[in-house]
Amino acid sequence: MTTIHRLLDEAFTGVDPTPDVLDLKDEIRANLEARVAELESSGTDSDAAARRAIEELGDVRALVAELPAASPWNAHRVRPRPAFVVRTVVLSVVAAAALAVLVTDGVGLLALPTLAAALAVTAVALSLGVVVGDALRQETSTNYPMSPRRASGYGVATAAVLAALGTGWLVLRGLEFPWLILVGALFLGGVALFAGLGASQTNRHKAWALQQSEHYAEQGDRFTQDPAAAARFGIYTLVIMVVAVVAFIVLTIALGWAWSWLALVAGFLVMMIVLARMLFPPTR
Amino acid sequence: MVQDSDAFAADLLRGHTDTIVLGVLRRGESYGFEIYKTIRDATGGAHEIKEATLYAAYRRLEKDGLVESFWGDETQGGRRKYYRITDAGRAVYQRNVAAWIATRDTIDSLLIERH
Repeated sequence: MTTIHRLLDEAFTGVDPTPDVLDLKDEIRANLEARVAELESSGTDSDAAARRAIEELGDVRALVAELPAASPWNAHRVRPRPAFVVRTVVLSVVAAAALAVLVTDGVGLLALPTLAAALAVTAVALSLGVVVGDALRQETSTNYPMSPRRASGYGVATAAVLAALGTGWLVLRGLEFPWLILVGALFLGGVALFAGLGASQTNRHKAWALQQSEHYAEQGDRFTQDPAAAARFGIYTLVIMVVAVVAFIVLTIALGWAWSWLALVAGFLVMMIVLARMLFPPTR
Repeated sequence: MVQDSDAFAADLLRGHTDTIVLGVLRRGESYGFEIYKTIRDATGGAHEIKEATLYAAYRRLEKDGLVESFWGDETQGGRRKYYRITDAGRAVYQRNVAAWIATRDTIDSLLIERH
């Protein structure tokens, strides 16, 4: 299998490694592996199989030249998987229901036995923990999926912290004090896990997303590009607010408090509209 | 002449690459090599549609919103890029098949002598 990677790298030498090209290369890699496995199972030795698979592929440059220049967002769009959406909705409903039970109990409308309250806390903590871990396992348009271990680490940390908060509430509600040890252990464990995961977290963004964010960072907004516009906006704001305050004082004297505050609201609105107009000048 | 008639058939087939890919994906989501193999087996093992043609077709279809792609989570080997047909893709497929049937009948009546 090493041959196929070498041959693929050779085929792609000199090609500008844009995100689209790398994406194509990864796609081709998996397909070549499948073709090589097929050739090998029909008795070809692995080197010959690799060379034949690459030959069948033909000229990579012609392929790269055909890559459409689509908008990167559309080209890289990933839809959520239906099963994931269903799981998340169901678990969120469970968590919300358990939380609603706890709140109803908390305001005194429901007198739950301690065991039932503990079950509700467990339901909230577990379901939200699973939702977090599951969400991190998903590939999105801008992020690669997290590895299963790391994603479940985040899920466990979330569940632990939520369980700690819930158990803390149970203690407030009348559970014996020794249970506070569990609260502390769960909370510290969860926070330590979050800290460890956060400190060792590496980038999950896809190459194209990073390129885009660099691109936007270069562009900046109008005020960083054009300091004069920012200065103008400052003067406009001053004038608008002085007029608004004067109008406020005059209206307070003439009409009283009931109406005068509208002058300040009007001043604020005019300022926001000026801000919007200056940040995003109309294009003709 | 055999060579020429093969080229003629291959040309005809290539002209319908997008519809053929949609037809394969209509049976369920699939990845590059599997799609290629399905087409190759259907043409009796001849390599009439090249893999390179298929890669271009996937990208075209995806840009037009007729298929969508996602990466599989294979634990060993490279990750596969899977394709799935969209509702728009199904509609285009139906339309193209209807157009093909109509055209096929026309060509049959023009090219094939009836006794």
